[in-house]
Amino acid sequence: MDHAALAIRLLNAMPNPNSSSPFLSTRCRPSRRPLSLSVRCLQTPNPTPAPAPPPTPGSLLPCSAVAAAAQEAPSANLPRLRLRRLVDEFRSLPEPIDRVKRLLAYGSALRPFPEAARVSSNRVVGCTAQVWITATLDDLGRMRFAADSDSEITKGFCSCLISVLDGALPEEVREVTPEDFGDLDVVGMPGRANSRVNTWHNVLISMQKRTKASIVGGKGRPTR
Amino acid sequence: MMASFCHFPASPPHQSLSKLLSPLRRPRPHPFLPNVLCIFNPNRNRIRAGSQFRRLSLSSSSIALPPEELDSSSLGDLTRPDFPILHQEVNGFNLVYLDNAATSQKPTAVLKALNKYYESYNSNVHRAIHSLSAEATDEYEQARTKVAAFINASKPKEIVFTRNATEAINLVAYSWGLSNLRSGDEILLTIAEHHSAIVPWQLVAQKTGASLKFVGLTKEEVPDIEQLKELLSVKTKIVVIHHVSNVLGSALPIEDVVAWSHSVGAKVLVDACQSIPHMVVDVQKLDPDFLVASSHKMCGPTGVGFLYGKSELLSAMPPFLGGGEMIADVFQDYSTFAEPPSRFEAGTPAIGEAIGLGAAIDYLMGIGMQRIHDYEKELANYLYLSLLAIPNVRIYGPAPSETVHRASLCSFNVENIHPTDIATILDKQHGVAIRSGHHCAQPLHRSLGISASARASLYFYNNKKEIDVFIRALKDTIDFFISFHGTEGL
Repeated sequence: MDHAALAIRLLNAMPNPNSSSPFLSTRCRPSRRPLSLSVRCLQTPNPTPAPAPPPTPGSLLPCSAVAAAAQEAPSANLPRLRLRRLVDEFRSLPEPIDRVKRLLAYGSALRPFPEAARVSSNRVVGCTAQVWITATLDDLGRMRFAADSDSEITKGFCSCLISVLDGALPEEVREVTPEDFGDLDVVGMPGRANSRVNTWHNVLISMQKRTKASIVGGKGRPTR
Repeated sequence: MMASFCHFPASPPHQSLSKLLSPLRRPRPHPFLPNVLCIFNPNRNRIRAGSQFRRLSLSSSSIALPPEELDSSSLGDLTRPDFPILHQEVNGFNLVYLDNAATSQKPTAVLKALNKYYESYNSNVHRAIHSLSAEATDEYEQARTKVAAFINASKPKEIVFTRNATEAINLVAYSWGLSNLRSGDEILLTIAEHHSAIVPWQLVAQKTGASLKFVGLTKEEVPDIEQLKELLSVKTKIVVIHHVSNVLGSALPIEDVVAWSHSVGAKVLVDACQSIPHMVVDVQKLDPDFLVASSHKMCGPTGVGFLYGKSELLSAMPPFLGGGEMIADVFQDYSTFAEPPSRFEAGTPAIGEAIGLGAAIDYLMGIGMQRIHDYEKELANYLYLSLLAIPNVRIYGPAPSETVHRASLCSFNVENIHPTDIATILDKQHGVAIRSGHHCAQPLHRSLGISASARASLYFYNNKKEIDVFIRALKDTIDFFISFHGTEGL
């Protein structure tokens, strides 16, 4: 298995066959762009997916393979594993512009955000672009995130964060730090995390606050 | 000791700046320090373009661009050696710094003044009788005198040092505002004000029952002065207005606004953050009651700004912050307060920074503010017309003409590309620093129907070559995103 395929397996290895998140990506989306990117199925594959578009040469891994990978997912440290793979993926691109392109590809792969969720309560404050995010706790006690932005690079940030944290346990979400993403070495990364306009930082903190709120908000940890 | 005002150091560190000085320069007596001479540069027209102009095929055809070759001796080229920070690579490219409306760079003269203060006479001011304290106090007060002269205030005591312009506005809002505003009173602003000129008055309005009224924009995208006149009434207690917009690049007729406001008994506070660094500002001519500015936008250090206030107003205002320095006597249950400006400078001030601001004023006056303004008008037109020539670029604010002079900044958007994405690629792929976001002017952006914009803002040390680099980089950035979108839709 090549590096990219391995990355995508880990990116999508989600032990969540019964997700009820309304914003969860429900289909694998093979890119039609010539960019050969390892981001095609960023979120947990839905057990009842919409009909997948026909495979294209740009698609690195068929959705069925991703679904299979999901069954093999490790039960612990999933965000750490995904983050490591994400870092490896970006590190494999020596040119900054290629890392930007990869980031944009991540943004393009982000699932369309429901118009009804574009409300002020879902806004992430402090970013130079508009960012909306939703966080829900699913029936298995795992966090489900959806996000959108009017900036394509910011959408890429959001997509990367979601690729790491979607489906993670609340405590796993909360233990990730902005510095953990520093090795990605892509535009706007930590190292400048203290800036009020650092989107990585602000979106991650927002995801963590919403994770905490989703637990405190009465749901608590569901019984398995 | 008596430090000379608007002079060059005994051993001039700025060879480039010295190039700006004509041997014909004539000293004139300093208004506050009769033994100190000012050097004014009479060579203000040296950089003006020649008779041959090239034109871009644009609707606003009244503006012509001077030939690029004249840029070789431009003010930008002459002063760039004074700014060490400009001579570096960022992300592998020569830095092109076009975020001057956010903050300016600092010339060596200012850095040296700061260094000298901390190495030679760092001490608290107005506190001790020892020599270092005396020297620090002299230099600190000298800086106040320099600021007063720079804006032609009638007395140095009309200058209050603050942390920045924001604090200066808060000072007026909380001190003058809480003392003078009542329920039913109106505070008149324009929709184009910076947040720092809006929020303090919102807070004070909530406490006093006063209300805020906003002047909108004309179709030319400048604050509607006719509407301002109509909104002025006996209910208007203060008009809070910018001199030059940090987004639109437009300049307002402050002298007229002040006259109209005074005719209904309203005070006027002028936010001069974007005008004082770039042009001659004369408070005796404009006649505002209050005027604020920041050091860091005019080649001075961060951490210091100033409030100009008419003496009679400052004297009648209660303290804003309590602490050392601002008192006359302190008893267990009450205190009496010092006269302005000390009354408003509680605690140890930003001594080194104020002295650095004084050095920045020396530097700017050595060049000449009119000369800076003339050069920047030329740059402003060049920037505007160069941007306008790019397809799908929308520039906000008025079009320049023979009668409309824009400040040397352009806020703009490119169709279907977020300004933050543009700024990110410009920085990462071209080393060009511009700003993106709402520029602390959300009400204005809403009025324009946008949530954010990109902004390129210039200062006198920029030149047309840098604008050319920026334009090429912007075109490349646009092509990059178009290419990405194009392939995405294949």
